[in-house]
Amino acid sequence: MSDVDLAEAVSVLRDEVLETAEHGDRDPPGSEFFEALLRALTVGGESVPGLDLALHDSVLRRLAWGDSEEVVLADAEMVFDRMVIAVHRALRDPEDQLVVIESTTLVAVTVARVVAMAAVARASRARAARLREEMAQRQLREVLEKQKATIARLETENDNKDYR
Amino acid sequence: MTVQREMRVAGDTNVGKVRSTNEDSMILEPRLGLYVVLDGMGGANAGDIASQMARDAIRDYVMQRRGNAPARQLLEAAIQAGSASVFAASQANRERHGMGTTVVACLVVDPDHLVIGHVGDSRAYLLRQGRLLALTRDHTIVEELVDRGLLTADEAERHPYKNVLSRNLGARPETRVDLVDVEVLPGDRVMLCSDGLYGYASTEAIQYILGSGDAPEHVARDLIELALRGGGGDNVSTIVLEAPQAAPTASTVVKTSGAMAWWQKRQRFLQIAKDRGLPKNPIVRGLSPDEALELIGLSLCQAIFHDLEKSTGVNVWTFAQNLAGGWFERGGEWSAVRGLMDILHTCARVCVDEIRSADTQLGFLLDVAVSRALVVAELALGGLLAERLRVVDTDLIGLQSERAAMVDRQAIAAAETLSEDPDAAQPWVDRPTIPFLRPDRPVTNSGVSDEVSDAMAKTMTIARARTAPKAELVKQVLTALETVANDAGGNFATAVLQAREIYGVRSVDDAGVMPLFDALDTARSVTASSVQQIQATPATRAKVLLALSTAHQRLVGATTGLVLEASIPYGDRLREVQAITGELRDQVASAEKRRAALERENATNIDSSLPWGSRGTTEW
Repeated sequence: MSDVDLAEAVSVLRDEVLETAEHGDRDPPGSEFFEALLRALTVGGESVPGLDLALHDSVLRRLAWGDSEEVVLADAEMVFDRMVIAVHRALRDPEDQLVVIESTTLVAVTVARVVAMAAVARASRARAARLREEMAQRQLREVLEKQKATIARLETENDNKDYR
Repeated sequence: MTVQREMRVAGDTNVGKVRSTNEDSMILEPRLGLYVVLDGMGGANAGDIASQMARDAIRDYVMQRRGNAPARQLLEAAIQAGSASVFAASQANRERHGMGTTVVACLVVDPDHLVIGHVGDSRAYLLRQGRLLALTRDHTIVEELVDRGLLTADEAERHPYKNVLSRNLGARPETRVDLVDVEVLPGDRVMLCSDGLYGYASTEAIQYILGSGDAPEHVARDLIELALRGGGGDNVSTIVLEAPQAAPTASTVVKTSGAMAWWQKRQRFLQIAKDRGLPKNPIVRGLSPDEALELIGLSLCQAIFHDLEKSTGVNVWTFAQNLAGGWFERGGEWSAVRGLMDILHTCARVCVDEIRSADTQLGFLLDVAVSRALVVAELALGGLLAERLRVVDTDLIGLQSERAAMVDRQAIAAAETLSEDPDAAQPWVDRPTIPFLRPDRPVTNSGVSDEVSDAMAKTMTIARARTAPKAELVKQVLTALETVANDAGGNFATAVLQAREIYGVRSVDDAGVMPLFDALDTARSVTASSVQQIQATPATRAKVLLALSTAHQRLVGATTGLVLEASIPYGDRLREVQAITGELRDQVASAEKRRAALERENATNIDSSLPWGSRGTTEW
């Protein structure tokens, strides 16, 4: 591996990968994933402590702000796609390319896992809510039956009184 | 429900909504470890007789010979005995001629090993880690023609004889029995059923109920209910066997007992926080001591509790970020945050020590988990501090740029004064430039060279060799990866097809989806390290990793897309159910109005035949 500081070398590619010029002062879509990549490169190693937590936090934050899961996933894919192009051009040493590609894949895969887990959690919440609704329906049906019986009784009583 | 060698078993049967008699029979014999579902057939009420005769013959055979023969031979011979018994009865009585029965039987050899034997179209399924696998294959004429290559799957689907059985008990004195050995893992579920279940319920719904985690007796009852809701056009029977769960892991203990023990200590936590002076910290200035304790102390207690329950650190992370982020935005000092965190650390430490003195093992596990939570909080604070540092950095860079611009302007002015030559007025200024290349198309794999292809094949061979023999899903992912990476067109459709292949039928919950993503992650890690081991130039290795990583990213993206797709119906169904609840509420409200009106009317009816004092009153 060369002596290049990979985190620094990749951080130079930020504008290219994220198209910062298109987004003015705002954070461009996918910037959180690019930051996570820089962090992964800084820490190094096969597993990056805290990476999943940081990505979990940023993905949930975006979902909470109203972005759909598909959009978040698409942003992560965009960062991946552009990174692999940019890395091939910007880094001369193949060993450096290997490290960056591996980290980029790790980030993309982790984002996908977090998004999938968010969808699963949403489905579980919907399932639980549906069970609650069904229980409420059962209670409402019981109430309705009782009301019908009371109404029938009251109607009979009224008819009898009128007759008398 | 019965308990068989720690295995939980339950069964249920129902005549269905159309038939008048139940021709299904079952055996649930925990003492013998024998569980059987039989589905009888034949006119003049002979179906139920056939299934009952076969049932009795199989049970008697196993009862008399259990322990004298290996399980496979015993089960096969018992089913043969059932067939002989039904055949003899059908020959003896003209009205019963042609009667028969299907059978699917399970013999529990030990808690880790079952033998399944079957004839006909009654089925056995295995639910493992959220995935439903068919253990049997229907013995129909069409299936056998497909097996021999005489029919395609499409032709089989439309074939008029697709439901005609090729084998059953009773057609001949002897029949061919298919046997399957099943190595049972902790938590596995095996289900036996007649065609009245799978003929009237989707595989997805069966898998959902079987994987629900409910007790086997509830599962059996729900499966019957499912078939009845689907039309109930046939007799339906099912038996559910559940292997004992594995011993609880440390994380399970923390999630359950640990989280509860922690939550029970919350008052103690608040007391210590009060004694340590939490209400005097500048961050909570202006709040009453009780408010301060509740806002900070109780929130952290809750956050740790929820993180212990879910084995995550998200709640503590959010707590720390909100606490410090708000304070920093108001221009607060770091020392106040540090002081507060130190108090909270001490409180947590004392609580954990107290739990540890009461229960050493639980205390140790909780110590690790709570320490992790506190480290997560510190990491969140570290992130905020880094953010602040970056803001300062940006300001400094801005100031530096302004200064550089001023120097440029001065240099230009000086040059204009010194020389009348217009070219000389353009001074040379050294500025860093950022390479900018706008990618105008998404990356696609336009095929790989032979050299890379060979290297990739070597990588995958090493990766497969390094995969655990039982990690079937990882191997499946590796195969899918290779297919996607070798796809010359580089289109996304291949990835989607492969993702569908590995996704199979899964429940949309952690047990169903997590193993898949674990397998994808393992495959990523194994391929990345295998690339390092192949004999190739660094450039080739980089190309191989690029191809595999791109394939991996496509595969993971497509798999996540499938998860998203599978989760959509849950929201739709919820909205439908909510609409029905709304209608019911309206009906209850209008019935209530009607009832109230009638009561008022009733109360004002006066019986004129009675004396004044007893005529009733007006109720308003």
